[in-house]
Amino acid sequence: MARMKKWMDLLLPVLSVFLLLTLWILLHVRKPDIMPAPLDVLQKLWEITLHPISKATLPIHILVSLGRVLGAFALASVLGVTFGVLLGWYETFHHIAWPVFEIIRPIPPIAWIPLIILWCGIGETSKVVIVFIGAIVPIVLNTVAGIRQVNPMLLKAARSMGANDMAIMREAVLPDSLPSIVAGMKTALSTGWMCVLAAEMVVARQGVGFLIIRGMDSGDSALILAGMVVIGVVSALITVALNYLEVRLCPWKVTQK
Amino acid sequence: MGNQAKVKVRNLTKKFGDLTVLDHVSFDIERGEFVCIVGPTGCGKTTFLNLLVKLLEPTEGNIFIDGEEADPKKHNLSFVFQEPSAFPWLTVEQNIRFGQETKKRPRQEIDQTTEYILEMLGLKDFRNKYPHELSASTEQRIVIGRSFAMKPDLLLMDEPYGQMDLKLRYYLEDEVIRLQQAAKSTVIFITHNIEEAVYLADRCLILSQKPTTVKEEVQINMPHPRNVASKEFIQLREYITEQIRWW
Ligand SMILES: Nc1ncnc2c1ncn2[C@@H]1O[C@H](COP(=O)(O)OP(=O)(O)OP(=O)(O)O)[C@@H](O)[C@H]1O
Ligand SMILES: [Mg+2]
Repeated sequence: MARMKKWMDLLLPVLSVFLLLTLWILLHVRKPDIMPAPLDVLQKLWEITLHPISKATLPIHILVSLGRVLGAFALASVLGVTFGVLLGWYETFHHIAWPVFEIIRPIPPIAWIPLIILWCGIGETSKVVIVFIGAIVPIVLNTVAGIRQVNPMLLKAARSMGANDMAIMREAVLPDSLPSIVAGMKTALSTGWMCVLAAEMVVARQGVGFLIIRGMDSGDSALILAGMVVIGVVSALITVALNYLEVRLCPWKVTQK
Repeated sequence: MGNQAKVKVRNLTKKFGDLTVLDHVSFDIERGEFVCIVGPTGCGKTTFLNLLVKLLEPTEGNIFIDGEEADPKKHNLSFVFQEPSAFPWLTVEQNIRFGQETKKRPRQEIDQTTEYILEMLGLKDFRNKYPHELSASTEQRIVIGRSFAMKPDLLLMDEPYGQMDLKLRYYLEDEVIRLQQAAKSTVIFITHNIEEAVYLADRCLILSQKPTTVKEEVQINMPHPRNVASKEFIQLREYITEQIRWW
């Protein structure tokens, strides 16, 4: 029975990928001029890895996009956690700042693009700012939620052992909210990746989003699909890396599952 | 200061809204004394301990430790709570080090004490485990270890052995007396188990129903270790049980 299950666990993912490829090929057979075959896309990926488009090969485009995301993500983490701790811990600050945050929060990061381009121009800054807007929201939300769910017994325990306010924040409040903060960062990174692609599709000379737009402009559907495949693969790799990081950061939570 | 009581409670009153929990309670606890507090469910035993360590503010009255307003940052006290309170993000060993580190004890002393405590509570095999990987009664042992490791002058225990099996309970009852005698600590121990109170206490405070006052104090002078089957022991146990059943 157990062996049967192991087989199924292996077989099912393979089957589903196979199904996706079959659908893709079917589409290709019906409309070959707008839907390239999987092999064409692979070939395109190979081609742009060797030959630069807009002065950059595929790995460079990926690194450019990732760099924008990681820069903005680092900034959003520092500011977002700080802001979230203030919001979650200090009632007065919550009363002052929460309504403002609540009004701005639902505006999708993509809706900021025109304004940001007006303000920051079409350089690197505007892309980083757009990703920052997308990434900081989940970090703040999760930090606030984490801080508010801290187990009061643990605060009492720390206080009864003589911990002062600083120590209680550092030794009890932050560690108890860490799993929630890390979950927020995971969401932030995937949101950030989406935002950077959107921003690059509007205005950029390099990056994965730019590749897709270049594909559209030159009627190169293989390039469009190659860009999309890269997005999927990079996202999956980011998720794997983050899951690994989560285990390292919150070992007590992960073994709980 | 030498002859002064360790804990002085004067006219202590605590109200939650309209509910009067403690009603002008006064008593002293001597230095090095082991006091058990028994009383009906919900009479305010936990509330009293919370007031004592300043987790709550009294409505009226005062509590003094060594003649001063109680303050966990200044006084060397530790508290074993009724509810689970091991830090989930720390391993067993790190939990046991926590209080000692907060009190900034020397590194070498912390290492030694931690080993001793792990051994005493049978936690050596679990030292690198996280609390949620262990049973509820093991988690409670971590918290007891964390408290004992601080070698507190004033040890507060709120039904610490409630969920343990008999064997462990008897063992830890002897251990808390050993610790108290070695560190010359003052212990306030809350329990529902009258036999446990008579086994441990130098003095037993019996609390009334809400609004709560000290109904009676029973001095217990038998030497340790006490024989739970002796005539005197059984008489005392039955007497205290009677006093509680009375209402
Ligand atoms: N924060 C609070 N707000 C309102 N009422 C409270 C609060 N804390 C305790 N009480 C009430 O005060 C009373 C005493 O509670 P407490 O927990 O001190 O009792 P206890 O003697 O420890 O009970 P138990 O034997 O169940 O441990 C109870 O009626 C409880 O409902
Ligand atoms: Mg209680």
